[in-house]
Parts: sequence; structure tokens; C-alpha cells
Amino acid sequence: MALKGIKVLEFAGLAPGPFCGMILADFGASVLRIDKVNNNTNLDVLSNGKQSLAVNLKSPEGIDIIKQLSKEYDVLIEPFRAGVMENLGIGPKILLENNPKLIYARLTGFGQDGPYSKRAGHDINYIGLSGLLSMFSRVNEKPMFPANLAADFGGGGLMCAMGILMALYERTNSGLGQIVDCNMVEGSSYLGSWLLRSQKLPIWGNKPGENVLDSGAHFYEVYETKDGKYVTVGPLEMQFYKELLDGLELEELDYFDFKNGKEVLTKIFLTKTRDEWSKIFDEKDACVFPVLTAEEATEHKHTKCNFMKDETTVIPKPGVKLSRTPAKTTAFKKSPQCGEDSIDVLKDLGYSEENIWNLCKKGIIKTHKSKL
Amino acid sequence: MALKGVKVLEFAGVAPAPFCGMILSDFGATVLRIDKVQNSSDLDIDVLANGKKSLAVNLKTSEGKDIIKSLAKKHDVLLEPFRPGVMEKLGLGPSVLLEENRKLIYARLTGFGQEGLYCKRGGQDINYLGLSGLLSMFGRAEEKPTFPVNLVAGFGGGGLMCATGILLALFERANSGLGQIVDCSMAEGASYLGSWLFRSQELPIWENKRGENLLDSGAHFYDVYETKDGKYLTVGAIEPHFYEQLLKTLEVEDVDYFDFKKGKDVFKKKFLEKTRDEWNDIFAQTDACASPVLGIDEVADFEGNRDKFVKKDNGIVIPKPGVKLSRTPGETQALKKRPRVGQDSFEILKGLGYSEDKIRDFNSNGIIKTYT
Repeated sequence: MALKGIKVLEFAGLAPGPFCGMILADFGASVLRIDKVNNNTNLDVLSNGKQSLAVNLKSPEGIDIIKQLSKEYDVLIEPFRAGVMENLGIGPKILLENNPKLIYARLTGFGQDGPYSKRAGHDINYIGLSGLLSMFSRVNEKPMFPANLAADFGGGGLMCAMGILMALYERTNSGLGQIVDCNMVEGSSYLGSWLLRSQKLPIWGNKPGENVLDSGAHFYEVYETKDGKYVTVGPLEMQFYKELLDGLELEELDYFDFKNGKEVLTKIFLTKTRDEWSKIFDEKDACVFPVLTAEEATEHKHTKCNFMKDETTVIPKPGVKLSRTPAKTTAFKKSPQCGEDSIDVLKDLGYSEENIWNLCKKGIIKTHKSKL
Repeated sequence: MALKGVKVLEFAGVAPAPFCGMILSDFGATVLRIDKVQNSSDLDIDVLANGKKSLAVNLKTSEGKDIIKSLAKKHDVLLEPFRPGVMEKLGLGPSVLLEENRKLIYARLTGFGQEGLYCKRGGQDINYLGLSGLLSMFGRAEEKPTFPVNLVAGFGGGGLMCATGILLALFERANSGLGQIVDCSMAEGASYLGSWLFRSQELPIWENKRGENLLDSGAHFYDVYETKDGKYLTVGAIEPHFYEQLLKTLEVEDVDYFDFKKGKDVFKKKFLEKTRDEWNDIFAQTDACASPVLGIDEVADFEGNRDKFVKKDNGIVIPKPGVKLSRTPGETQALKKRPRVGQDSFEILKGLGYSEDKIRDFNSNGIIKTYT
């Protein structure tokens, strides 16, 4: 696998960090999650196949453990507000001095400096500040955010994973690591580069919700069907637009009259069920397809090969296929209990069993009951 | 820069592939765009081409194919956006080019992938998003699903995912000495990008219909609110201690965390009492996860954003590279010139060893297009 042999220290946090670690794990890296000793619940649904060390970072012994680990690891991912790692004594300066090959990744909402860097926030705040959220709305409605996808995962986890890979690649030439600093506001804006940089093209120029690509055009929209489900319609190009009209049995429908187009299409699509429309448009190249729920996507004839299922949980397969060194999803592996691997990790570092037992008693590390 | 010395052949296509090429270029790769001879620069809508070169060549001629084959021997990465089979039909498919250059990373970025029922059909971001299972999760209750323009499939699951795949292959090649195919389908990439959304469905935060949950605009403390001046604020106060600060700052009491409906009524009225910037000033003193929704025209000037963007003279706002590498940073290419179609054809062919006479010959015969 592409990242075989790469070792990642992932400091536990909310979804973006675990998603970044998950991508690296799916492509072959070993990921060790660093948990707090008092973590009781495991809400981390992306931790399958990772290991867990639970350690008290406020103790000097705990900090020592991290320092030793970072000498033997390739990548460190931390999600804390600016200054937290420095205050603990495990900031990038110290750890990179101990291990100049280390790739020290920092994944935050607001970044390492600037007026917001010490404030709390979530995906919705980050995309609001990125300039993107202002573009996401139907006309005369308030902006609508795509759950927490854009900043947490697009501009956050995936962008950070990409940065880590850049640094890993660069290290094969230079032999050196560096800091990979990803903040979700900037990451989101960069992800939306085309949206921002295409603003002078004629497809923009109207209010949000009145342009070609943001639900203004009747030929780039979601329509409700007779059974309360939905289809997507996206025939931007004339050859596809003609097939749309064909499939709807319409003689003509002015491409440029968005308002009329929407009225007509809204009415027509309500006359048949989604699956009836799917059947009709299966015979056409009109860029009309169903909107599938997660569950349906695992069963749909085209998309089912993109997914696996673990009982009722839907699991997307790794989103890019490498022909010679393919990924292997970690989603079916066990999710670690908090501290499940603490003993093994310390043993590998050369700690004696007695020492480990003492650290346990003092609450410096936590190990899972099953390992005692 | 991280990708210094990496040479990329980018077959011209719509936004996702240029975005992928742009990322590689921002981090130091040299990108040569392969244009069709009949492409005119007057119709140039590729807003992400700054800093790239352009060779315009007729791929239907044997001389044109030979040029591509020679180039493929000297480039590290090839990126093509065509429907499955197109490159194979041209005699430039991966098995041919990888045989001639085993180190080549052959990236294929499509909507539906290389096989499956829809792989030969036309489609757009909105269709891929609909099929990914994600669109069914985006949108307010009682409304049809809302799509975030073309961000998720085209750029998140597409361009950025593909760039990640290319980097994985580049890193792997540093170990193995071999290239491979990197196959990215936007529908599948989008689903993988949304892994957490799929895999967290069993958590209590997703018990209700679309638009009625914690993170999809159901909760009053995770939504967008209109202010007195018709602008908007985002509120993301999920954690109880931030929620308390939110209530305190708004000077409201007795708004139960779990009473989404009442909460929305109260907050909606409250936020309309002041302008967005008045609210921003107030919230700047708190840790309540509330911040403004910025329009494109103001995003670069906003206090927290100044170092995240570059502004062009014509008003276009350019996001800087979304992840910062400390030692080998990326640098936006957006201030460089966009290539005229074929502007580098002459130089490229000379570099391959073609004589000036031959090049002029090719130009007259429409095998290439060059710019004198």
C-alpha cells in the first residue's frame, strides 16, 4: 500500500482530525490515537483500525512518552487551538528538533495566528468566513450549509491529508520534515478557488440563487417527484438540454428563460415518481439522475460498487483508486477502546512492565481493563 | 517548493481537472495544458490556468499522438478528464503510456468512473452529488435538497481527491520507482469525502428527518440567522459551555438546548435587532461560536482574513494555497498570466527535438497550433 510503513500520531479531536487520520490509514499508514486518560465514551466513528494510547498530557512522564513517540513516528496530527501544544511542551519547535524528519500537522478552524485563532468555532462558522457560504442559497432564502462537509472535511481533513502527503513526498528528496498548517477557513476558500476566481464569467453576476450553477437556472436544479423524492437535472450543454426536453416530451423550452423553465419543470416532474423518471432518463443522455439516500446508494445499480455495509452502517469505499497499490478501507477493523494499546505502545518504547504498572497507578496512562 | 521538478501533462477540461492541476502547480509542479487546435483563447474560460503552459495539438493525427507519447515519456504525471475509452481510442490509454514510461502517474478524473452503468453518460456535479447519497442530507426541512453550487463533487470529491491520489502515487513511487493509474470518480470521491456523515448515522445526532438534526439546520444553535441589515451570521454553539455564552450574549434566558423550535423563534427575532457588524463586534468579545457570513466582495478585507487572500486589480479574489508547509511553502500562481492556447507549442516541440521546419509544417497542417 502507498503509505506502508508510515506511522502517524493522531491527537484525538472532533471529526476533521480523525478523517485525516482515516485517509492515511486507508492507504496503509499505522495510526495511533492519543487519548486523554479520562475519555470514557468513544464517539469517534472513523477510528476503525487505529490504536489508542491514553496518556495524561499534564504530567511530565506523559509528555516524555509523547516526545519519545514523536522520535519514532513520521507524522503527528494535532487539532488544538493555537498555543496548546506549545504550552504542554510538545510544540513543533521542540519535537522537530528531536526529530527533524517529523511532519507536524496542525488542523484548526482559525489557524495559528490572527484575531480568531484563540476562539472556538465549528464548520458553519468557518465556511461563513470563507466567502463560500454566501454563495449557497436559493433566491430570497438564507444561505444553507451542506451539513459539516465543506470545512470539516473538504477544507479541513482532506486538505490536511493532502498537505501531509506533499510533505511526505518532499521529505523523500530532502530527508526533512516540516510543519503542515491547515486552517479550515483558508482550506475551504482554497477548495472553492474556482467559485471565487470565476466570478467575472457570465455564469455569475446575479444574486445568490439566480445564477446558472446555484439553482437560478431551471437546467441545474433539484426537482421533487410525484412520490416526494427528488431528481437532479444538470444539462448545461445544448446537446444534453435537447435530450432533457425529449425525455420530458416538450417541444420547446427556452434555455434562457429561467423563471418559466422552473415553473414548467417543477410541474412536469411532479407527474411521475422518481424511479419512473429514472427509467425514462436511463435511455437518454440528459444529465438527469435520482437523488439517492445513503441507504439507496448502497443498492443502486451504478453506485453500489462505491460502498460497503457493516450491518446498518453505510461505508463509502476509499475515494480514489490506485491501480498498483490500492487502498484498503479500515472501516471493518475494530475501533479501539480508549487506551487499548497503551501497554503495547510503552513496551515498544522500552518501558519495563513495572514502570508501566506504576504509570497506570499514578493515572499517567490508562489502559483498557482487558489488558490488565 | 514541495513539488519542484514534478512535470504534469493536464488535458484541458472543465473545472475539476484544472483545479487539480492548479493545486500541483501552486506547490511547485510545472503544468503543461494540452489544448485542442481548434480551441480559441477568446473562449478561454479556464480561470485556474494561470502559470500553466499550453500546447495545442490535434490528437486525431498520428503526428499529434506521437508528440503526446514523447511528452508522456518525459513527464511525471498525466491528468485526463475524458469519458472512459476516449484516451484508449486515441491510442494514448494507460496501458500504452505506462509501458513506454513505467514511472508515469496516469490520473483519470471523471464523474462516474471508468466502469459501471453510467460511465459513458454525461453528468455534472449536481448529478454526482445526488448519486453520492450526500445531497439527500443537505437542505432545510420542508424544502427540497440544497446543493452547495459545484463544490462537493467537482472540487472536494473530484479535484482535491484526485490531487491527493496523485501525491500518494508520487510518494509511493519514491519507494518503488514505479508509477500507476490514479482513478478518481467524483461521485465516489464525494461519498468518501462524506465518510463521517455516513458512518455517524447511528449516533443520536442523526435521528430525525433531513433539516431537523443537530448539524443540518435542525438545531437553533447551529444555523444561519438574518440580521437587521439583511446580512447573515452563523451560529455554531454546539457544546454546552458555548451555548451558555451564546444565550448570555444574546441576553436571552430560558431557551432550552433541546427545544429547537422555540430556540429558532427566539433567535430569529433576536438577531434581527442589530446589524451583522454590530453583532460581530459583540460576539468578538465572547467564545460563543458566532461569526459573520461574508460575501465575496468583502471576504478578503475582513479582519481575520487578510493574509488568506490576494486581490487582483479587476476585483477578483484569490484564495491562497489552503495548507501551509513551513519549509517548502506553496505559492499561488494566480497572479501569473493565463496561457494563450498553443502559446508554448513551439518551445515544447523544440524541446522534444523537432526542427523548426517540421514545427512550421505541423502548424500549417493543423497538427499543432502555435503562437508566433
